[in-house]
Order: sequence, then C-alpha cells, then structure tokens
Amino acid sequence: MMKQIFKIQVLCVLLFAFVGCEGFLDREVTGYPLEENFFYTKYQLQTALNATYDVLQSDAFNDSEWRFGEALADDVIGTDEGLGSEMGQLVHFRFTNSNTYIKNRWDVNYKGIHRANQVIANAHKVELTSDAYTEYQTVREILGQAKFLRALFYFNLARTFGGVPIRPEVESVDSLVIPRSTLEETYAYIEKDLREAACMLEPRYTKTDAGKASSGAAVALLMRALMYQATPSVNSEKWEQVVELGRFFVDGEPMTMRQMLKWDERYNEDWDSFKERLWFRDGGSYTYTLDSELRVLQGMYTFNCKDAYGMDICYLDQWYQDGEFCSGSIFEVVFKESGDGTDGDTNEGGYIYDDLFSKDNCRMYADDQIITKIFGNDARKQATIGHHATTPDLQNTEIGAGRIFSLKWYTPVKDKPTFGGDNAKNRRYLRYVDVVLMYAEALNECGQGAEALAQLNSYKSVINTTSIDGRTPNTSSELYKAGGYGYVRDQIWEERHMEFAFEWERFWDIVRQGRAAEVLKEYSNMRPNKRGSYFRAGVNEIFPIPQTEIDVSNGVIEQNPGY
Amino acid sequence: MGLLAVGLFSACEDVEVLQPHAAVSVEGDQYVYEINETMEVHFTGQAENVVIYTGDTDHDYELRSQSNYGLVVNKGLFTYSYQTPGSYKVVCVATNHGDAGSIIKTDTCSFMVRVIDDDTTIERLSAPQVFYDEVFADALNDTDWLLPLPRKILFNGADRPVSLDQRLKFYINSSSTVVLINGEEFSSTDKYDLANVLDITVRSYEGTERPYKLYTVNYGEFETFEMLGVAGTITRSEFDYSYYEINLEVPAGSDLSAVAPTFTLYENTKVYVDDAEQVSGTTTHDFTQPVTYRFVASHPDNPDITTESTCVVTVTVAAE
Repeated sequence: MMKQIFKIQVLCVLLFAFVGCEGFLDREVTGYPLEENFFYTKYQLQTALNATYDVLQSDAFNDSEWRFGEALADDVIGTDEGLGSEMGQLVHFRFTNSNTYIKNRWDVNYKGIHRANQVIANAHKVELTSDAYTEYQTVREILGQAKFLRALFYFNLARTFGGVPIRPEVESVDSLVIPRSTLEETYAYIEKDLREAACMLEPRYTKTDAGKASSGAAVALLMRALMYQATPSVNSEKWEQVVELGRFFVDGEPMTMRQMLKWDERYNEDWDSFKERLWFRDGGSYTYTLDSELRVLQGMYTFNCKDAYGMDICYLDQWYQDGEFCSGSIFEVVFKESGDGTDGDTNEGGYIYDDLFSKDNCRMYADDQIITKIFGNDARKQATIGHHATTPDLQNTEIGAGRIFSLKWYTPVKDKPTFGGDNAKNRRYLRYVDVVLMYAEALNECGQGAEALAQLNSYKSVINTTSIDGRTPNTSSELYKAGGYGYVRDQIWEERHMEFAFEWERFWDIVRQGRAAEVLKEYSNMRPNKRGSYFRAGVNEIFPIPQTEIDVSNGVIEQNPGY
Repeated sequence: MGLLAVGLFSACEDVEVLQPHAAVSVEGDQYVYEINETMEVHFTGQAENVVIYTGDTDHDYELRSQSNYGLVVNKGLFTYSYQTPGSYKVVCVATNHGDAGSIIKTDTCSFMVRVIDDDTTIERLSAPQVFYDEVFADALNDTDWLLPLPRKILFNGADRPVSLDQRLKFYINSSSTVVLINGEEFSSTDKYDLANVLDITVRSYEGTERPYKLYTVNYGEFETFEMLGVAGTITRSEFDYSYYEINLEVPAGSDLSAVAPTFTLYENTKVYVDDAEQVSGTTTHDFTQPVTYRFVASHPDNPDITTESTCVVTVTVAAE
C-alpha cells in the first residue's frame, strides 16, 4: 500500500512537473533584452552602436587588416612566408579557397555589418523623452555613425572580394542565403550610406566626443570608395566626384544636401520621409531642406600636427598618444584601456603592437633596400629604425640584425602603460593628408595637373619644415615638379607610398593603381623566396569567396573568376 | 567479459571498406578554357574523400611521388582555373579508408582539358619615358592608335626638345602574348623611330595575329609668330602639352583693332580661329582681346589622323 501511495505521489510530481514545463516554456522572457524589446531608448541604441565600434577594436579585425593591407605588398618581409603555413600561402598568392585568413576577413567584416544593421534597422523604435532638437540630433548621429561603419565594412569586403551579398537589415531564417550583388551595386550601397552619414554627422568630434566617426570621416571614406571605382588614365565620373568632394573638403566650396546625396538622380523618396527616416528635425536655427548647405569641413582638419590642445607636435607624435585625435587625424580605431593589466583582452590593440613591434616575435619587418626604395632621401625615413638603433626617446631596441621597423607602431616610453598588456594606442585609420592626396590625384586625372601639383606641394611644403622626431629640424625645400599627366601622377603615388608607409594601405593602393603585378614582380626579384612572383594579373586583385560560403549556399553565392 | 573483448576486436576486423567509385562531370561539358576562366567539376561518384589533380604545376598526378598534390573536393563541387595555356590531364582520385587507415581503396578517372590563350587586345599603349612622363596613345578604331607628342616640353623652367625616338609600353592582359614591331619582337628597352608609322602585330599563344598601326603626330604650334614687327615666343604649359600662350608687347600707339600677324607652321599643320583657316599676313583680328588659335596637325601618311592644340595670343601696348 505504501508502495502504491509512493508511486501515485511520484506520478503526480512528474505530471505537475510537465505541466510546469509547458507554462515555463510559453512564458515571455523578462529581464533579458531581446532584439524586439531592446531599442526603446537612445541609450540602448548607443549601446548597440558601441558594439559595432567594438568590431573595429577587435584583434580579429586588425589582424586581417595588416595581413592583407601590408603583408601582401612590397614594403615588408614577413616572418611567416613558408608555403607550409596558410599565411605563407596567402602572401605567395598560392592559397586555396579555404584559406583561414580569407575566411576570417569575410567573417569579421560581416560581423561588423550585422551589428551596424542592428542599429540602423531598430533606430525607428527609439522613443524620445522630449521633442527637443538635441534629442533628435543624438539619435541621428548614432544612426549616422552606424551607416559610416557599415560602409567601412562593406568597402573592406568590396576591395577584397568584389561584389558581395548585401545582407538585409533585418535578418530572417527564411532567407539566410543572399546572392552576391555586383561590384557596382555594392559600391552604390556604400556610397549611399556615406553620403547620408556626411549629412547626418558633425564635421569633427573633439573632447569627450573624440573618436566618433564625423562627417569628415564619411567624406574621406567616400572619396576613397569613389577612387577605388575609378581607373588611372581612364576618364570617369568617379574621378570628377572625388574632385567635387575635394573642393568641398579642402577648398571650402559650399555643398548642399542635394549635391552630397546626388538626390535628383538617386532618390525616389519624399523629402519629409527622408528626414523622418534619418531623424532630421527642424528646430532652433536648423531648417533642413535639400538646398541646405552642409557644415563646412575646410579648416576642421589640418596638415600641421596639433594635439587636442592645439599645441604643435612632431611628425612621429601623430602616431602616439599626443597625436590621438589631433587635427591631422580624421578617424581612428580607438583601443580601450582597461588600465588593470588584464591579459588576453581582445580590444586593447596590444596584440597588434606587440606583434608588429616586438623584439622576439615580430610578424613583419623591412630592410635597407626596401626603406631606400620607399623614402629615398626623404626625412620621413627617420620614422623607421634599425637594429640596435636608438628610438627618438633614446630607447635601445633589440629587433634583430638588418631588420627595420616602423616607428608608427612603436610605443614610446612616455606612453608606456603601467601594465604590460595595456597598450591603448589608437590606430590611425583616415588622415587629412590622404584627403588632399586623393583630391590631387583626382584633379590630375581630370586634366587639372597644375591644381593637382599645388595640392601635392601644399603638403610637401609643410613636411619640409616639420621635425620628424621632435629633435632634428627638417629644413628641406624640395618640392614636387611640374610635368605632364604621368609625371604628376607618379609623384603623387610616390608621396602616398612615403606618407602612408606601413599603415596597411599599400597592397590596396597598388591594386587600385592597376600595377600590383608589376610592383610585386619587381619585389619578387629582390627576394630569395620570390614572394609575389605568383601574383596573377586579372585574378589576384580580388580574393576567392571563402569555400564554406559557396558550400553552405549550395552554389547560390558564385565564386570569383579564376578561383 | 572475455567473450565481449573478443567480440569487440572481431567487430573491428569486420569493418568493410566499400570500393569507391570515381566519376565526374564538367559543367557544360566544357573541356576548353581560356586563361583564368573558371572550370567547374562536379563529383558524381561515391567516395569518402575526393581529390583532383589539375595537371598543371604542382598538381600533376604522374608526379604525385614528387610532392605534387591533389586539391580537395568539398561537397562534390570543385572550381579551378589555369594560368598558363596548354593541355592538362585532370585526374580525380576517390578514396575510402578502412579502420585507422589500414585499408585504403581508391578509384580514379580522368579527362583532358585544353587551356587556350587567344588574347590579342592592346588595352593601353604609351610612351613611358617622355622625359619623366608617361604619355598615352589613343585608340582611334580597332587597329589605329595615335600617339600625340609635343615638340618640346617645359621642364624645370626650360623648353626641352622631345625626340621621336621613344620607348613604348604595351598593356596587354596576357603574358603569353607576343608583340612584333615592323616584324621584329618588341623590346621594352629599345627605342623606336616614331617618325614612321609602326606596324604592330600582336600574336597570341594560339598563334592568332592581329595587326595594329601606331601613328605619331606632333601637336601643331607656330614655328614663328610676328605682328607689328614684334616676334612672339611660345610659353608652354608643363601640364598640358596641347596648350600654349604667346604674350606680346607692341610699341606704344599701335592700333590692335585689325592686325594680320605673320607666322609659319610646321608641315601638315593648319591653324584656325573658330572655324576659319588663318593665312599668314592676311587674316586679321582684333587683338585688343586675347585671340585663341586652334591647330590641327595631321599625319603625313594619313590626313584623317589628326590632333588638336590651342594657342592664346595676348597683346599689350607699351606705355607711352
């Protein structure tokens, strides 16, 4: 009898347990944010934006940046160039479609896109506590930054893979496989985001807002995206558009929202709904019309390196803490400083700086031949150091015989953190000199060589009198010379090579200039391992879509030609 | 317990390795490809592991004992492209493995592909070292290219004569393509006499040939220019070789309202103001405003091949 009672009790407990389970499963989750109920305040939207910036800070993102932008090109010698490793295969252009680094690059940029899409798709849910102009402005600027970041990630993909799938802003399990868009469509999408961001953001953020993507950053990236769509010595409206933006950014010519957005040819949208979608609210002294002029960018950014307090700094300090958010810097990847020596952080940039400037285990270095090829006799050559050479702050370095490093990745004593793991030095992503050199190149392409040379020399004359290391005065008076199209173009490319040396843009630059095969062939002849000789013109300018993407989409995503 | 152990071991021994079946189909039944064209191979057989030897460098099945290797096939789909023309034997190796790799059964199948390179297109053509400049030629039609060259270039403050002996640079997508100039193989370090029309032949790896002609025409300009007894000197632009200026100062009291300058031109050059051809010492203009002359220089062998340039003449009258 007792046994029977016990059995009945157990049965009852089990029965209730099952009933309880059903109720539990059906119950709405509370106290835990979901995509549907998260974006009600501007603070929550800001949190989602921070998560997007977080991708830029990640080791995965920056790792991919140097592997492709620098290690593939002709300015460095890698320490991992054996064909037995996937990195070696990558830099020799003898990789398979399943190469890990190609896959990582795809993944990390789509991760950024996904996070930016969360902000963009959910911004309309935000409820404001008042109708004040500044409330709208806050949301508009969050949205604008998300658009800038999404464009940055798509641009990275476009120049790596060509046309890529444009993910829907709201993902659905019913349509996970999205076919590739054409390269033109992908760039049109990037341009739209950047043109809108250029209207939505402040010209430059300083003080507590420093680090936010500004309209200066949006215009600079837009110029870069346009330039990548154009071919040197071939007439194109893209070159003309770079000139148009250069006149606005550098020369201070006015530009209306209609001009920036290319409203008449690209939009089929009511102006009021556009304003509502992007949180433009008239108020105070602001009334937004299509003919409203954009906030002036001229003068916001300068060549003269001045720190956040307006004090002059030397050339090299641009890359150190003194130069963070200086007037020459338009956009930086801001690394977070935990300040507690936490090891293993993935967003402090420590990994990159340790890897690129470490005495024991560096990833890349240059030698005398390479440095001479880049700089000739230019004073900026001092921005590099050699074995046992002394850094500007009189530190000895043990970087190996014959090896030369860029001081752009060095952490000077004054910036050295209390704890070893906290490097906290920002990566410079877009600089004002880039805007001016892009403008100069586009002017030359549009048959305005004299103006192009004037822009090029406007920077050279500043560099001529800027001390590189803060100790040695620079008193050069050499300027670039007048000449025909090809001569001016070559001088602009030479200046780009010097000025942006070791900033992870070299590979993309030589591909864009249509001479990657030529440059890499020349480089391969200098190297015993002939790295670069396998570069196939017409194929290796872009990389294969990762094989897994082809596989999981059952072939809906098509491979690039030649792979 | 003992029986169980025996049972386990015997189970291992009994693993049956099926005979794999190697079979492939090629997308579109295509066995001829161009350089860098994607070849798509579908594996249609049965096997656990499939690799394909593509037959080119490093992937030759016959040399598999000498470090040549096959490429793994994922999900039955394999894509590849060849970078050098030729004929290649593609071998598919299908493999099934037994326990711990102690038993391996393979099956192979193969097919031949031919990779052709029939590229005879000149994408761009230039004189890469006109002093420090690269001057590009223009494609006029399918065969004729025109290289416009200045007679002189202003460089470092001085006019320097431009030689018609120049190096050339061809932008052709294929590295297997051969260029012949007047029947001889082109060299990037040789200089060619551009005073004559160059007969260019572009021969592809497959042997197809395409003829081109390169015409070189100097931009038109005044050889001499004089008005009211004062000789004019050409001022060149460093950036635009097709643009000149002449700035003259004539004696005080000169009347500029209807002056016919005297000038000489180089051969095969005509000069116009608007559309009216100018005759030295005859055609008059009001030089109180700058006058823009337009030159049309043509090639002696082919008058239809022309290049245009302009010269703006500005005259001032000396103060009394």
